[in-house]
Amino acid sequence: MQAAKKQAGGTLLATFRKVKESRWTMRLAPVAILVALMVLFAVWTGGRFVTAVNVKIILDQALIIATVATGAAFIFATGNVNIAMGACTALTATITAKAYLSTNSLPVMILVAVVFGALLLLLCAFLSTIFKVRVMFVTIVMMVLLENIKSEILDGETLSLPFEMTSGLQDAGFSYIIFVLFFLFCAVIFHFTSVGRAIRFTGSNMICGEQTGIFRNKYLVIAFVIAGVGVGLGSLLTIARSGSITASTASSMNMDCMLAIVLGGMPVFGGSKSRAYAAVVGALTVTVLNNGLLMVGVSSTILQGVRGVLFLLLVLMSNGRPDVLPARD
Amino acid sequence: MQGAEFLIEARDVCKNFGVTVALDHVSFGVRPGEIRGLIGENGSGKSTVSSIMAGMQPATSGEMVYKGKPWKPGSMLEAQENGICMIVQEAGTIPNITVAENIFLGHENKFARGPFVNKRKMIAAAAQLLKELGIDGIEAGMPAGAYDFQDRKLIEVAKALYWEPSIFIVDETTTALSQTGRELLYRLMQKLAGEGKSVLFISHDLEELMEYCDTLTVLRDGVIVGSLDKPEFEGGKIKQMMVGREVSGDYYHNDLEGYSDEVVLKADNITTLHDLLCFSLELHRGEILGIGGLSHCGMHTLGHALFGAEKVLDGQVLVGPGKVPVKNTKVAIENGMGYVSKNRDVESLALQSPIMDNIASTGYKANRFFGPFISFKKEKEYVRRQVRNLSLKCASIYHNVSTLSGGNKQKVVFGKWIAADSDILILDCPTRGIDIGVKASMYQLIYDMKKAGKAIILISEELPELIGMSDRIIIMKDGQITCNVKRTEGFSEHSLIQYMI
Repeated sequence: MQAAKKQAGGTLLATFRKVKESRWTMRLAPVAILVALMVLFAVWTGGRFVTAVNVKIILDQALIIATVATGAAFIFATGNVNIAMGACTALTATITAKAYLSTNSLPVMILVAVVFGALLLLLCAFLSTIFKVRVMFVTIVMMVLLENIKSEILDGETLSLPFEMTSGLQDAGFSYIIFVLFFLFCAVIFHFTSVGRAIRFTGSNMICGEQTGIFRNKYLVIAFVIAGVGVGLGSLLTIARSGSITASTASSMNMDCMLAIVLGGMPVFGGSKSRAYAAVVGALTVTVLNNGLLMVGVSSTILQGVRGVLFLLLVLMSNGRPDVLPARD
Repeated sequence: MQGAEFLIEARDVCKNFGVTVALDHVSFGVRPGEIRGLIGENGSGKSTVSSIMAGMQPATSGEMVYKGKPWKPGSMLEAQENGICMIVQEAGTIPNITVAENIFLGHENKFARGPFVNKRKMIAAAAQLLKELGIDGIEAGMPAGAYDFQDRKLIEVAKALYWEPSIFIVDETTTALSQTGRELLYRLMQKLAGEGKSVLFISHDLEELMEYCDTLTVLRDGVIVGSLDKPEFEGGKIKQMMVGREVSGDYYHNDLEGYSDEVVLKADNITTLHDLLCFSLELHRGEILGIGGLSHCGMHTLGHALFGAEKVLDGQVLVGPGKVPVKNTKVAIENGMGYVSKNRDVESLALQSPIMDNIASTGYKANRFFGPFISFKKEKEYVRRQVRNLSLKCASIYHNVSTLSGGNKQKVVFGKWIAADSDILILDCPTRGIDIGVKASMYQLIYDMKKAGKAIILISEELPELIGMSDRIIIMKDGQITCNVKRTEGFSEHSLIQYMI
């Protein structure tokens, strides 16, 4: 009797392992979570959550996170974490708004956003590779430093951009076009080129990569530059959406960006199983979560806590502790 | 009733690492006053079973009985306090703390007054212990890192014997020791056995085991094959039990056809930060060059340096007819070199990545169809071809390498370099931790590559392997070549060992 029970348990465990090991589980689970959350909130709010107006709000907000996070996914894939993506976006948006206000030129604004974003992230990459400091520590410093530079520039004021310009951009579907183009660009690099392969491989095992002629520093710099372009475009989207830059612009982006990548099913420590679309799925999930919880009456301070706990849970769950013999050397 | 006569007994002990079975229902006991040898191939489970007894890791299932009571140690310290001490194969000392602190590691409270440790008392006790054991030349107050490998092993011996263990486990320790060190250890082992304690002695050296052990237990692939008492000891028989069949001559290759004169890789007076000083070497097309020596003779560093993975401070490594200097691993790979690391799981494989990604990592250039874009079809075929040709056993190429057995993992590494069409392969302990069946196919593979005109450097800690496979053998000691002999001149195991120590 007991043996039969044991056996049944064994097969169940085997099935569970098989499902867990399947390469489709990791790919589809995040989408399933997103759908489940949407259904949950739709029911909970009695349908208010899925009205056309609210869906558009969610999409617009998710678009910004998705743009920044898609770029950041390259950094994640190398096995590094840039926790200052939000601070980078905030400063870039400030500089970009300043540039527009002094030139009144749309092309200049776009150019400044992309170039400044790329240079800013390039600086982070160089600080890490040249001084051999881990990306994590560089970006902790950056997060504080950039926030301060931004508030110094703003000096307590609000930068308001002309309504005609921002509404014009919105009417022309600027945000959607930018996002789709950038996403396609990233997806192709990530999955169809040798650069994308190399970036993921160095994240899988840096030492093995170095012994296969894939040098981490080179690909780290490439990943940061692509992330920088994402930051630039993300800050353009921020400007187009809100029309002004204040002290709180992109203030929750640091956390949102990381949460999006992890919620989207990206392995926390990077590597082979990184996917470009993870950031998009994750961005939607994060926004749905933020929006839905606020709608059912959770206060925004508690919301911060909920997101923190969620992030911790995901990191613990995906802790890729190898289940094999310890290396003996 | 049987349990009573054993000091420690393992009953049906199993140990799994993921899908790998390291121990399969192992049962055996050690009697008081005996020196019992444990012998078996790499990966047969000798170290695993003894480390379970010594509390280093728990068994998956099964039970142990020690001094008539169930034995389930939670840690090494618990085992130590109960009289089971083990000297491990790897370096078990911490270099930055003193010899005395190493000896009393985890038991500092013996010398504690409140939260403070009386170091002077501890050092005096350690010095006293070393003197009693007859270990000379080691100062208890010096940092352990100041001593060489042999002396550090002796510190471990002292650390274990301080507890006056009832069971003393010696795991592959003698290979690190010189003759005097060995004799000291043998003497201590015999003294313990004379006092009615037991010794569990693990070694690869059959002669040593046959001379000093009272009984021998043979393991193969995690299963006990049998036990022999001293009168039954006979070299051929033991070997046959280890391998599972008659050990025949064609296990290795035995042709004398030699190799071409063309030099494909040359180390020209290279010096590295550690180990190598003005080292030179030439490798020829179609040659299997064996490099042997004790673990710390510099041969592993040499492998790294030849491949561009270790900084060469002075001198050059030159590859190919164009004599291209190997500045880094990328240059090495572009010039047809491949490297299989001794530390396979860390350096040669991305364990948590699929087999596909690992093998394809050498083919980013070859598998392009235009510009930087990769052809999925070409890439898949690049990987599938290796899986087929090497008969790699895997559920699918999308499964993580970590799900494979040691032999199949090694096939992935080989596949990666064969796919890249490497002409020069540096193999550092390629058969380490691989079971016997796969080992034979690895040897066949290496021989086939030689036949195909590739040049191979085989770095190995196992002399029989070097003697069986190499066209030429270089023996290293302290970063220098002490012996360079061709197969045509004849290899003698005995004389090669003399050059190592």
